[in-house]
Amino acid sequence: MSSKISGTNNFKVVLLGEGCVGKTSILLRYIEDKFNDKHLSTLQATFLNKKLNINNKRINLSIWDTAGQERFHALGPIYYRHSHGAVLVYDITDDHSFAKVQNWVKELKKMLGADIVLVIAGNKIDLEHERTVSLEEAERYAELVGAKHFHTSAKLNRGVEELFLELSRAMLDRSERTPTAPVPRALALAEDDEAASTSTCCWTTPSNG
Amino acid sequence: MEGGYDEIISDNPFFVAFKTEYLELFQHCITESWVVCVPRVGSLNTRVFTIEDYCAHVLVPSDELPETHYTTLTEKQVTIANKVITLDITKGLPLQSHILFEETFYTEDFIKYKVWCIEAPLEPTSNVGDNDVTKENLCSINDCIDLLWTQAAGRQVLDQIDLTVQIFIKKHPTLPVAIGNLKDAVSELYTLCLQVALQNKRLRDKSKTSKHILENIKLAVECYMQQLLFDYIFKPICTSCSYEDSHLNKKIRNMCDIQLRDLDIKKELYHAVPKAKQILSKIDSYNTVLEKVLCLKQALNAINKSDCSTDATLLTADDLLPVFVFLLIKSGLPNWYSQLTYMKDFRFSGIGKGDGDESIFLITTLEAVIEHIQSGALAGPPDPESYYYESNPSEDSMSSCYQRRSSMTESTSTCETTSREETLEYVFDLIKANHTEQVQSLLERNRIHLNNMHDNEKSAFKLPLSENDVDDDDDDSDVEIFQKLCHPLCNCKKCCQKLSKNLLKTSPTIYSRDSHGLTPLHVASIHGKAAIVDILIDMGAELNATDLNECSPLHYSASRGHQNALLLLLHSGADINKANIDKNSPLHVAVNNGHLNCVKALIYFAEHGRKQININCCNVNGNTPLHLAAKWGYEGIAKLLIENGAEPSLQNRNGKSAFDLAHNLKILQLLKSSTPNLYEYIHITSLDIKKLNLKNINPFTKLQSLKIKSNDRNNASKTVENLKRIERILQAISYGDIKLACFYMNINYENYINITSEFKESLCHPLCECPNCKGIIQSTLSDFDVNFCDSNGYTPLHFAARYGLDELCKILILNRANINIKNKKGQTPLHLAALHNKTVALHYLLDNGANINAFDLSGNTPLHDACAIGNIGATKTLLSFQPDLTMTNASEKTPLDVAKQKVHLTIIDLIEKYLNKTSIYK
Repeated sequence: MSSKISGTNNFKVVLLGEGCVGKTSILLRYIEDKFNDKHLSTLQATFLNKKLNINNKRINLSIWDTAGQERFHALGPIYYRHSHGAVLVYDITDDHSFAKVQNWVKELKKMLGADIVLVIAGNKIDLEHERTVSLEEAERYAELVGAKHFHTSAKLNRGVEELFLELSRAMLDRSERTPTAPVPRALALAEDDEAASTSTCCWTTPSNG
Repeated sequence: MEGGYDEIISDNPFFVAFKTEYLELFQHCITESWVVCVPRVGSLNTRVFTIEDYCAHVLVPSDELPETHYTTLTEKQVTIANKVITLDITKGLPLQSHILFEETFYTEDFIKYKVWCIEAPLEPTSNVGDNDVTKENLCSINDCIDLLWTQAAGRQVLDQIDLTVQIFIKKHPTLPVAIGNLKDAVSELYTLCLQVALQNKRLRDKSKTSKHILENIKLAVECYMQQLLFDYIFKPICTSCSYEDSHLNKKIRNMCDIQLRDLDIKKELYHAVPKAKQILSKIDSYNTVLEKVLCLKQALNAINKSDCSTDATLLTADDLLPVFVFLLIKSGLPNWYSQLTYMKDFRFSGIGKGDGDESIFLITTLEAVIEHIQSGALAGPPDPESYYYESNPSEDSMSSCYQRRSSMTESTSTCETTSREETLEYVFDLIKANHTEQVQSLLERNRIHLNNMHDNEKSAFKLPLSENDVDDDDDDSDVEIFQKLCHPLCNCKKCCQKLSKNLLKTSPTIYSRDSHGLTPLHVASIHGKAAIVDILIDMGAELNATDLNECSPLHYSASRGHQNALLLLLHSGADINKANIDKNSPLHVAVNNGHLNCVKALIYFAEHGRKQININCCNVNGNTPLHLAAKWGYEGIAKLLIENGAEPSLQNRNGKSAFDLAHNLKILQLLKSSTPNLYEYIHITSLDIKKLNLKNINPFTKLQSLKIKSNDRNNASKTVENLKRIERILQAISYGDIKLACFYMNINYENYINITSEFKESLCHPLCECPNCKGIIQSTLSDFDVNFCDSNGYTPLHFAARYGLDELCKILILNRANINIKNKKGQTPLHLAALHNKTVALHYLLDNGANINAFDLSGNTPLHDACAIGNIGATKTLLSFQPDLTMTNASEKTPLDVAKQKVHLTIIDLIEKYLNKTSIYK
């Protein structure tokens, strides 16, 4: 058992999508039952930490909400750099938001290559009767770019949990397959090795940051 | 704070024991999705648990309120609020325990269950273990010192870190300015400090027990180190970021009129902004990254406070960013980019924690905001002038308003509504759109119309208005109107209405003003429409008209950086030193907004137009333009100001000089370079010539310089030649070579010597002006004008006085040198002689009528200068010529104050004696 605990995987996930597709609602839904905290701070609506443990693998998810309005588009790279996963949200009743997702995918692939796990979420399936983005088209597109596609509804609490679970598993897979692992430098600080062995995960060369 | 405490649950002895000993119960919990609580490691001092212990830590959600109410398997009621578990027990106070964090577990079949790590066990009877675990988060430098102190049981660790830092500072007397090198050096120091800290046995042992403590120790060491090092490393950071900072400042200064609504900020957030702004502006006062980040967080949380009342709206990133942009613009901090760099690159303890933690999120948000401002996506409010149309009336409401007005005057009419053409706003819109001809024709027409009205009025007074002979006089210019009448003398209702309407017409003219007092010339200057400015000036617009903030058109063109409009206004005679309501001159606003081109234009125009621009004038806060340039880091402007006599030692209302406001080394060096050393001035002069040559090569600057020089009819090459010649002469004087200087100036030196030696007796008096003597002296005079000056305004007489060449002083004065001529700093030759303690020259100058109370641009008289430097001889000489001792300089100091400030005891003595003497004398 203890052999499996090699430390915690820290994953950064960005939420991307146009202005009112419900990115924030998805985020809020995901943490809603959290300690029944009435006083959500500002940051919890835009930034969230969530600890997961999948099959004894610890994951610390940091989910960043980003601004979706067009005027802030240029700030994208500042937010998504160094992220391990991205959730691309569109509104199934809004063609434009889906086109925007396609833009994001192109940009992310170009800037981050294959290092990032993508998940596409068609949000607001409670408004199925107003759907304008074709379901087949969306799924075909997701498959084409190698992303999982989810149908979500923040309102009905559908698909949100599954989405993040799947994303986490995919990120875990990727980090295990490609051992880009920030190889812990055995720091000369602690000569007693037993201390070093449990705490190495947090030591990396400063230049890595 | 989210994400503070952390431990690996699957290593927790309680959790491990539960899973292995009572697997069945555990599985049951999972399938029923009950919540398992795990007391944090170290909170229980036993490794033996009973089934009761486990049952007491399994929470079953209640049916009605599954979120807040639970029952334990030991049938106890539990409520959750604000991350605190409250357990009702039969007697005594209810037991409380903080939820440290939640971890969501998934089994291999992806069945989910939740585990809460809690601060203390949920049993009143259980053995409570050591309770000193620092679960709390470090929030300030004091917390950090506290932690290192208590955990190491003494201050040895702190002292050792102190020592390490001191050694570091000694080893690097000057730090590298390149951020990369600096960062490496500091991170090396950080590692050293950590080593020092962990050499302490207690700390090492503690850090082994929990990863959390280790993290806190790392953070504390980092903070303590930063606290010690801050003053030392922040200036280099500012220096390397000076370019970015000054650009950001320019962007920010130019949109400081921005309003909340311009940024599409939600109305609900408006009231929280002042508080958030107040918090954010304190970021400058924190020395550690930790505290700076915390300050960001508090500012953001302050914005959120508004949400508590109406939690219907939740803040999204889309709402948050604009508020943050607004806060940054309004914060008035001159070095945001440096702050960001410091937070981003000098945060070592967080490295390796992944890029996702909250601090990084906050720092990234700040970076995004700065990037957003920097990118120019804002480029000021969408309509920069919107502030003078408080509510932009739509066309309909406007015409209806006019209708109302006209219907009031002529109630019965079938009036044609006044066309939009007649409103001032229409004229302003035309100006904004640069419709030169239309503006001209419209204003011209209205002017003629008004003139006619004026004439009519006069004639109306001449011939008492009787109904029958309204217009006996045949007015040619009003032909249009008279043609519209049934008959020139018609008196029918319709015609009368037409006539009266004509009188009531309120057409905009070049003199019209809107509700803010803006004239068309203001608007054209704001928008930099040079062609229209030209037309308006031609039409006689008032050049120095001021709006409600007492800003003239010149202020607006300077603040917006419209050089062409600015030059047009200056050439037409606009007041260059006009102060607005905050006592800002056009130079102030141009400097504040970082418009180098306008600053240049103002200074060069003053120089060539022989106008006095007050380069050291103070605004309402006592800031000179140089203060502003230093504060916002505008290097080019600061240089220009200093070259033109700005004085960096002047203090503003808060007692701060430009030196105090400069936040990076580049600016500081620039300011220091302005010490009154003539050699440097000569140096600068030659540099200037080089610069002139360069300007001719660079096509872009060439355009500018040509424009500036356009009123200076000499062409550039001739100017250079002249400058070279002047430089040669002045250099000769500085070597004390009077002969050579005289030769260059076409003065017959030999002749002069002869006169003074041979004809000395024949002259009634060396300076006698009787026709007899004059004739003799005449022969020594040349027709060369000796009042030429170099680019800093130094004449030969200045140099002669400065180097104490009294003989040359005599020659120059004989050659009609202006004895009270001022250089660019406003100094007379007497000032320079006083500064350099040339008593003979002083005497000679004073004998020949030099003004002893002349003051330079900083308000210093020669006596001030002598007192400041401590020149005893000069002070004595000056005192013997009855100076006015009550005169104060720009810092409101008399010569005596200056001497006292510099503690020149002899001089204080001299002045006090002199004062006593004169008072007795009186």
